[in-house]
Amino acid sequence: MAEKVQEKKEIVRKEVEAEQLFTEFKEHSVADFFKKNKQMLGLSGKQRTLTTIIHELVTNSLDACEEAGILPEIEVSLSELGTEYYEISVVDNGPGIPEDKVASALGKLLAGTKFHRLVQTRGQQGIGVSGIILLSQMTTGKPTKVISGTNKGKTVSLEIAIDSKTNTPKVTDKHYLDNKFKGLALKCKFKDLIYKKGQNSIDEYLRRTAIANPHLTLQFQDPQGEVTKYTRTVNKLPNIPTAVKPHPRGVTVDEMLTYARHGSARKVNSFLTSTFDRFGQTAVDNIQKLVHFDLNKDPRALSWEEAEDLIKAIKQTKFIAPSTDNLVPIGEDHIKKSLKAIVEPEFLCVVTRKPTVYQGGYAFQVEAGVAYGGKAGRLVSVEKIKDKKEVVIEEVRASEIIRYANKAPLLFDAGGCAITKTVESVDWKRYGVSNFDNSPITVFVNLISVHIPYTSAGKSAVSDDSDIVNEIKLALMDVSRKVGIYIIEKKREEEKKEKKKVFAKYAPYVVEALVHTTGEKNKDLLLKNLSNMVLEKLKMEEAGVKAPEDDVVEDDSITEEEEFEE
Amino acid sequence: MATKKEEKNTKKHERKGLDEFETETTKEVEQKTFQIAQNIVDQIKRGVSPTFTTKVRGLSNVYFDEEKQYIQLGDKKTVRPFLNLGAARKFMQTMLVNDKCNEYLKEGKTASIREIYYELKRTVANTKENTFDGQNESNEVIVDIEHAANTIREKLGLHAESKGSLYGDITLKDKKHDNDVFNCNSLGRGGWSIMSRIEPEEIEIVDVNADVVLVIETAAMYNRLIEERYARQHNAILVGTGGQGARGARRLVHRLRYEYDLPVIVFTDGDPYGWYIYSVIKSGSMALAAHSKYMAVPDAKYVGMTLTDVETYGLQNVTEKMKEGDVKRAKELMNYDWFKSKEWQAELKLAIDKKIRIEQQALANKSLDFVAKKYLPEKIEKEIFL
Repeated sequence: MAEKVQEKKEIVRKEVEAEQLFTEFKEHSVADFFKKNKQMLGLSGKQRTLTTIIHELVTNSLDACEEAGILPEIEVSLSELGTEYYEISVVDNGPGIPEDKVASALGKLLAGTKFHRLVQTRGQQGIGVSGIILLSQMTTGKPTKVISGTNKGKTVSLEIAIDSKTNTPKVTDKHYLDNKFKGLALKCKFKDLIYKKGQNSIDEYLRRTAIANPHLTLQFQDPQGEVTKYTRTVNKLPNIPTAVKPHPRGVTVDEMLTYARHGSARKVNSFLTSTFDRFGQTAVDNIQKLVHFDLNKDPRALSWEEAEDLIKAIKQTKFIAPSTDNLVPIGEDHIKKSLKAIVEPEFLCVVTRKPTVYQGGYAFQVEAGVAYGGKAGRLVSVEKIKDKKEVVIEEVRASEIIRYANKAPLLFDAGGCAITKTVESVDWKRYGVSNFDNSPITVFVNLISVHIPYTSAGKSAVSDDSDIVNEIKLALMDVSRKVGIYIIEKKREEEKKEKKKVFAKYAPYVVEALVHTTGEKNKDLLLKNLSNMVLEKLKMEEAGVKAPEDDVVEDDSITEEEEFEE
Repeated sequence: MATKKEEKNTKKHERKGLDEFETETTKEVEQKTFQIAQNIVDQIKRGVSPTFTTKVRGLSNVYFDEEKQYIQLGDKKTVRPFLNLGAARKFMQTMLVNDKCNEYLKEGKTASIREIYYELKRTVANTKENTFDGQNESNEVIVDIEHAANTIREKLGLHAESKGSLYGDITLKDKKHDNDVFNCNSLGRGGWSIMSRIEPEEIEIVDVNADVVLVIETAAMYNRLIEERYARQHNAILVGTGGQGARGARRLVHRLRYEYDLPVIVFTDGDPYGWYIYSVIKSGSMALAAHSKYMAVPDAKYVGMTLTDVETYGLQNVTEKMKEGDVKRAKELMNYDWFKSKEWQAELKLAIDKKIRIEQQALANKSLDFVAKKYLPEKIEKEIFL
């Protein structure tokens, strides 16, 4: 409990910091900021923007529930209002927001953001619900409808818009509802969105979210009114990740200066030991020998050149690896439970690796799972030729790779992602999967870190850092090996069944012909003996005993027709 | 002439060239098919993995008998178990065909190899699979049973389609068809359609008045020679094989050679396929190596076409290009023991080098009657054989 209080303090402090940062670009309208940074904010592309919106809203609900210690129940629904015009509604069972805080919590950009906090966060972009409200307003000119209910007081309904010049909320139509409700409900409209099914759809985003959050009950209603529900498989909330001090190895010049300006230390040496993880007096002494300025100076007066000098010295200094105990994985059992319930495979293997460190400065952890058979993989339609003429569309299962960064699904840029590349680099044939692309397989990879190295500002693909690639590879090999044993055993079993079938289908014809030729009376005995011989043979085969007939190879006999073939 | 003919008539009664199984009765062959089935029933009853044994045909079990000058079958056997994944289907097929043959023999019926295929073709219960997928599958099994029972398909109540034609002054009696007696000189231009089974108890050769048997590959050339009255003018019997010689045609040529002592001359296209037709008449075939004894005519002569003819008769501009397959086939022929003579090796090498072939009909480039008036008389007279 004490820890939690501390955590809250931290958030408050950071909020202040964020507001300070925000003043720096206050003169520009926030709307302009949005337009200029579409790529970075995940708002490029009509399908992708929709995914980002859903992501922000669902993440907000999940975080609120988890922080309040409530098992989350979230309902998402999407309705089509016109061409590329949608209304999105998200309802959660979280703590709600007290009436007097609703406007400031939702109608103020960057309020309550986790900006600049070194903590394992679900989000990628972190524009928050306020960003979504602004986006709605920018595309439709309409406010967002909010209903909030806490355990205390009345259920309040209001509409929020944001004055993008002053970054202040405008509340309209505020009234109280009679019905008892606890949680937060948001309803907002957007233009220039496309909803379609498939690999990059929000259906898929939500399915994957449900997989990575076994404690979540999630329901989605698509524009056609079709409802998909994922019921939680785990009744335990995950631990809340705590913020950590940055490790000196991971820090850049720019970050160093930012920390220096916002810290409270008077001297650079005490700033270093108080701001960074694993930074002791020995390190300070060593660094003093390497840098060309006095570490007793005021950190706020640190110049760019001095910061560069400092970083260079840090690179030459030994530090204990960053602590890894602040990472919160989903956990093997939990992943297993949700994959089992949602993917419904025939066989499943999951591993959560021990945390480790990449580039010397950041702790990370890999979780991987392989689900095989059953409903694993994704359905794809293929054209098949039936009876040598008719073309029919058949649905078959193909492999899928579901990627996560800190439990948040990564849907886009699959090809450029280190996770995809690593999965594809696995020699699947060794594990009994002869054709990976066309096998019923779901490969799950969750990368956890306080600092995920993305390939670009879009934050939808992980860059191929060798330490991370290596860990993913080890994790995959571990699970694939176990799945491989199962697949190979299964294939053997199938082969056995197949063999039995082969003999079983011909045996009656053989016996029928023999009885007809010889006039043998005891047909049943022949059938029974043949069938016993087949079973006996398969048993021997299993035991690795070769029967003489196994070696028989067909001779090269030819018929006249073949010999005389032109 | 008369005395010679008498001699021939006496020879005929010796039934030369007939083997023991050629005289087997239907009852005896029926018993053989019964025994094949009974052996397997006994195996199953004893709980022994059931197997069907037959002889291997094909290159690995045929050899060229230098002394007899024809292809013989070796002793290599092949065992087909039911309890082998690769062999189970064929085992089933073998039992079906064996049973059907047994039934034909019991009931005194016969069927063509195409008919037995259709009679036995059906969908295997609970599958999408057929008992036979194409006649080649039943054909293979028929040959297996012939060899297992040491007999020929005709004795099993089976026959191939009639193939090949006979023309000339030869009188036959069809004992299976009201003892019809007919002379193949007076059946019109087409001659007699050769049955698949030419055994003495079915087709009796009553009389032959000829000096030579000319075996011709193409139906077009056979017709040309009839139209040119070649048979009458040169006292020849014409056998048109219409491609590769079928059993009936080969057996008939064999009988004419050994029962009537007529020389046999083969006339085919000048290409590997045509040369192999000659080879089969002369030395027998691999698939029927077991029956070479009463099919092969080791002293059959080859009159043409040859690549030398191209030069001799100025046919350079009517040659055809050999296809890839032809060249490959020519190379195969070079490796067969029965093509090892100096002359044949030279001819095949020439064909492979020049990559050309020459058809019988190319002779029409000179004139339609060139083949009958000049080419054949000249080459046969001067014995320009390969």
